Amino acid sequence: MTAERIAQGEPVVEVSDLRKTYGETVAVDGVSFDIRAEEVFALVGPNGAGKTTTVEMLECLRTPSGGSARLLGKDIAEETRAIKAEIGVVPQSFHTFDRLTVQENVSLIRQLYNDGRTVESVLDELDLAEWAETPFRSLSGGLQRRTGMAMALVGDPAILFLDEPTTGLDPDARRTTWEQIEGLAERGTTVVLTTHYMEEVERLADRAALLLDGAIEAIDTVPNLIDRYGGAIKVIVRSESGRDGDESTKDEPLRPILAETAREVYRTDTGDLVGLFDDRERAQAAYSRLHEAGDGRAIDLVSAGMEDVFLQLAGATPDARGELE
Amino acid sequence: MKRIVALLVALLRDWSRSRETVFFVVLFPIILLVIFSTVFASSAPSFALVVQNEDVGPDGEPTNLSAEFVDSLENIEALDIGRIDADRNLTAWSQESDGSGSRVLVLPETFEENVRAQSGRTRIAIIRDTVARVQGDMNDSERATVQRGLDQATQNTTNGSAATVAFYAPPDDESSAVVRGILAQVVADFNQEALGIDEPPVTVESGTIGDAGLSSTDYYLPAFIATLVLINGVMTVPGVIAGFNQDGTLKRLVATPLRRRDWIVANIIQQSLLALVLTGVMLVVAAVLFGVTAVPGPLAVALVLLGAIAFSALGMTLGSLLPDPDAATSLGGSIAFPMMFLSGVFWEMDIMPETLQTIGRVMPLYQFHRGLRRLMIVGTTDGVWPAFAMLGGMAVVFVALAIRLARWRDFGD
Repeated sequence: MTAERIAQGEPVVEVSDLRKTYGETVAVDGVSFDIRAEEVFALVGPNGAGKTTTVEMLECLRTPSGGSARLLGKDIAEETRAIKAEIGVVPQSFHTFDRLTVQENVSLIRQLYNDGRTVESVLDELDLAEWAETPFRSLSGGLQRRTGMAMALVGDPAILFLDEPTTGLDPDARRTTWEQIEGLAERGTTVVLTTHYMEEVERLADRAALLLDGAIEAIDTVPNLIDRYGGAIKVIVRSESGRDGDESTKDEPLRPILAETAREVYRTDTGDLVGLFDDRERAQAAYSRLHEAGDGRAIDLVSAGMEDVFLQLAGATPDARGELE
Repeated sequence: MKRIVALLVALLRDWSRSRETVFFVVLFPIILLVIFSTVFASSAPSFALVVQNEDVGPDGEPTNLSAEFVDSLENIEALDIGRIDADRNLTAWSQESDGSGSRVLVLPETFEENVRAQSGRTRIAIIRDTVARVQGDMNDSERATVQRGLDQATQNTTNGSAATVAFYAPPDDESSAVVRGILAQVVADFNQEALGIDEPPVTVESGTIGDAGLSSTDYYLPAFIATLVLINGVMTVPGVIAGFNQDGTLKRLVATPLRRRDWIVANIIQQSLLALVLTGVMLVVAAVLFGVTAVPGPLAVALVLLGAIAFSALGMTLGSLLPDPDAATSLGGSIAFPMMFLSGVFWEMDIMPETLQTIGRVMPLYQFHRGLRRLMIVGTTDGVWPAFAMLGGMAVVFVALAIRLARWRDFGD
């Protein structure tokens, strides 16, 4: 595989000023980024941000209006078939031959590639062997998506594109999908995924690009994004009865502990006492001291996450359906 | 080639597991064949005709000649004769028996009298004409004797007009022209008999083209085959292709190294195989139900395949143009139905206006079923090459167009 010839960390996707417009509407507004070999790269954003349009241009399924991109050194405008031979794709609206079994569908895709893995090995890897003889139409949504993953992997791709891989799945199926993506990442497959689930980004992605209105607002490793845009670490003393009770008296002994090292201490509308810390060690120390001096109220140490990053950059976070709240 | 075979196997498997397919391949041909063969192949259609014979004697019994006329009507297989009494008021009968939709033939009460008088006058006229032709060979005495005899016979002939039977049909009766034609023939035969002509000067001899053992189902079978190939290619294929496009199946395939032409070729091969299966089913059904004797030879099979390629390529082109399956099917229907109605598949083109006949004759379906008919029924290759040329040309153009227009990017745009 081409990816085996590319060292880890070397760019396998190079995108330069890529644009897509529909009349006056700008879907992708000149994005530029690299994706490196063996990393999991996430394009994050709400619905309509341009995630799918961007990856479909990279998958040679959509014609760019401008800019350029190279996958594994090949131009997406000129070397379409060569690129398709090296990538695996699970489209967002995935479907295949309804009345064919899982095995038959995966086998069909295998035969469209010159090289690849055995159908059995892919079905085993994705725990699909017991469903091999089941028609695609009879599968649950999660198993259909997993069949799509098998179809994408059977060509032994250097780069795997997963467009919203867990949207619409139940929590169990989502967790299973995450574990499978983690397994692929461990084996060195370069994974490009789009998602509006921040938890998914934190769990799976090495690096992420935040897309808003077709433009990249931020791109970096996930920890760096959180450090840069996620805001402070919070230590929260949870209210038991709300602000109108005697919380102000109760927290007298706790407030000084927070105030000693916190950048800021405040009470929320729901009565929680919150201390903001810029430093994780100080937050941890304050958290421990609060526990020792505690009066039975719950105390939480809350790190910043991609939700906070998104809140900071977009002013809102996507809901479960991907719409900005 | 490996990719085409893989796709073809997948398409055939997916197709063979569809219930709709079972209907289309097995039930639809049976229904089509049974309906049309029954309609067109029935031994003789029967037209109802109610006769009122007003020409009765004092005893109420019909006169000899009027009874003879009605008997001759009853001997016509195509007529189903009913009777109403001579003294019955026709208008009242029509209202009481809801007979407003019936065809009625009325023999007037002077029928026999007028027939006898008119036949006498006609016979004398014939004799006068004959005498005029031969009188050059007579002497004066002979000529005067014959003339006296003729004058005497003329004086003895009753005055009056010819017998007129009245035929009434409902205004929306589509078969009245046919019944009128049958009546005209009955009247002509009756007149001939009344004049004592045993052997008329002119007769018509009827026969069939080719094998005399062919049934009507044999005759219509090529039309059914051509029509099914057309319907499948132009109406079913666009919906299937647009469906693959709409539900994301095609997009998944396009994300692989599959070539556009491989996709088109695999689909066309599938449709060609389907056409052969359809043809086979039609032949088996026709053989079992109607004892069909026509069997397609290699050239007929080749023509069926060429038709399947041409029409399915047209269907794939339509399916690529319209991403919505319903719209694509409708567009296919708007092409297929006029072609079926104008191409003389189910009825003779002679009944259509000249302009429509001209249009019909340039339709590929016309050439298709006409070519098949010649190959399968008449057993000749004469006149089949226009069919091969037209369908071949169509196949080349639409395969190229289907490959060119197949959606391979920008799904959903």
